[in-house]
Amino acid sequence: MNARDFLRDRFPVLVLHAVCMGLLALFLRLTGYSGTNTALILIFWVLIAGAWYAAVYWERRRYFRELEQLLENTDQRYLLGELLPETFRLEDRLYRSVIRRSNKSVIEKIRQIEAERRGYQEYIESWVHEVKAPITGISLLCENGRRLCCEGKPQPCENGGRLCFEEEVRELLRSVSLENQRIENYVDFVIYYARSEQVYKDFLIRETDLQRTAEEVLTKNRLLLIQHRVQVRVDCPDRVYTDKKWIAFILNQMVLNSVKYCREEPFFSIETRRERDGVLLTFADNGVGIRAEELPRIFEKGFTGSNGRSRERATGMGLYLCKRLCERLGIGIRAEAVYGEGTRLFLLFPISNYIANAGGDVDEASVKLS
Amino acid sequence: MANRIMIVEDDEVVCRELRVLLENAMYEVAAVTDFDQVVPQIAGADPDLVLLDINLPGCSGYDVCMQLRETLAVPVIFLTGRTDSMDELNGILKGADDYITKPYQAPILLARIGAVLKRTKRGLAGEGTQLVCRGVMLDVAGCFLVCGGKRTELTKTEMKLLHRLFLRQGGYVSRMELVEYLWENQIFIDDNTLSVHMTRLRGKLREAGAGELIETRRGMGYRV
Repeated sequence: MNARDFLRDRFPVLVLHAVCMGLLALFLRLTGYSGTNTALILIFWVLIAGAWYAAVYWERRRYFRELEQLLENTDQRYLLGELLPETFRLEDRLYRSVIRRSNKSVIEKIRQIEAERRGYQEYIESWVHEVKAPITGISLLCENGRRLCCEGKPQPCENGGRLCFEEEVRELLRSVSLENQRIENYVDFVIYYARSEQVYKDFLIRETDLQRTAEEVLTKNRLLLIQHRVQVRVDCPDRVYTDKKWIAFILNQMVLNSVKYCREEPFFSIETRRERDGVLLTFADNGVGIRAEELPRIFEKGFTGSNGRSRERATGMGLYLCKRLCERLGIGIRAEAVYGEGTRLFLLFPISNYIANAGGDVDEASVKLS
Repeated sequence: MANRIMIVEDDEVVCRELRVLLENAMYEVAAVTDFDQVVPQIAGADPDLVLLDINLPGCSGYDVCMQLRETLAVPVIFLTGRTDSMDELNGILKGADDYITKPYQAPILLARIGAVLKRTKRGLAGEGTQLVCRGVMLDVAGCFLVCGGKRTELTKTEMKLLHRLFLRQGGYVSRMELVEYLWENQIFIDDNTLSVHMTRLRGKLREAGAGELIETRRGMGYRV
């Protein structure tokens, strides 16, 4: 609000003043009043009216500045109605009550949506817990079935090079296991997506053995990886403080991605290196890579890129979710790629300066910290 | 004597298959059948390890764990579909030794059970670490083989391969099965690399004087 806007706003009243002044001057002239005195009266009129409007302008400006400041300093702006400064003006008070009523309905709506969402989320969580029982059942059935087949009596099959019956059953069970593993990955995805949107933090930060975590992820996906003839080198001697199951989920996504976009003789490597400001985990593959112009966008929600469109059905959610989870865990994530040669993903687990300075006594230092 | 493991799991299929899996892994297995009397049943069976589900009919695994802790020193592993961090923390605070979420992978589950049993000093003492086949003695723990009094060192991969073949003496082990076995033991190689390791292993066996110990049959796999 500046003076010009203010004057423009009061334009009708100012015109009224001018007209009244004109009429008064005319009236005084006709009744034989002296010119000097008439001028004096008009000058005083202008001065008094000017002082009045200056005061009003100053008061209004202060009021709205206060409002602006309030708006600036509150994070929940829809609560403004409750914060409006006290005022003697009728109009302000009327506006305030209108804003309050409108805000109230907005807040009710937000509460309702939040409750619905919480309910939905709780349902998803419980559904995921339920569905894991049959997935576990299938996984164990297949595992035991395959063990049964291979430990059965050796039966040479001479019927023209055809695989013997047991081998066929094994093959079948392997396929069922593979499909079951896919279901498991999709189910995992649902729960982590639901959680990544959540306000509360679902972390359990503990000392985590990255070697073991990576090995468990690979063992979990072994059927898929063996099917694609993948070889993996794991060399992660460094330990970090983080949430193991979130890291496992992120690594799982990376592995699944790399399998999806692999070429001949796929080779992955998962390595860690101790840097000055943390532990750097590198996940490298020799797959199809990513086009340079698409690289900056791979962490965006719903971005599928030319690889995703041409090869497999991609949802564009995997890396987006990885990035989100990393942000929540305070882990830096970035990617490098050469199109046609491979992709490297980096996870930087930061170490606080206190622990870093302690050098070799990381464990001891962190105990002191906690 | 085999370690006895007690399963507390209300899902019938999971319970049955878990039992088969553990029995195949040479454990003695008992399962809770009456969920009103979980703790007395466990105490009665005197197991070396308890696998405990959290959502049980009529009671919670946490309570069972707490009650167990009051009387017994038996190690407890939670096996559950709940992946919430609070659940995991709760499990650890209630005194569990490990917390594994469903759906678990058989090799990972067995490894973790082994780790807990080892930690609690109830692990098998002399778990068949020495195997003999046609005059060749394989020492699994020491990672070497002895043939005619001569000792030959093996790499981890070669040892695992030979171990698998020795355990299935007389039967064919397919290449796929060998690769899967290696992956279950944290050796992540493909079919071609398996051939390389197999050739190297054959060379070592020949040098050691064991001759053509490993027999190959096209389409079937390997046999000792």
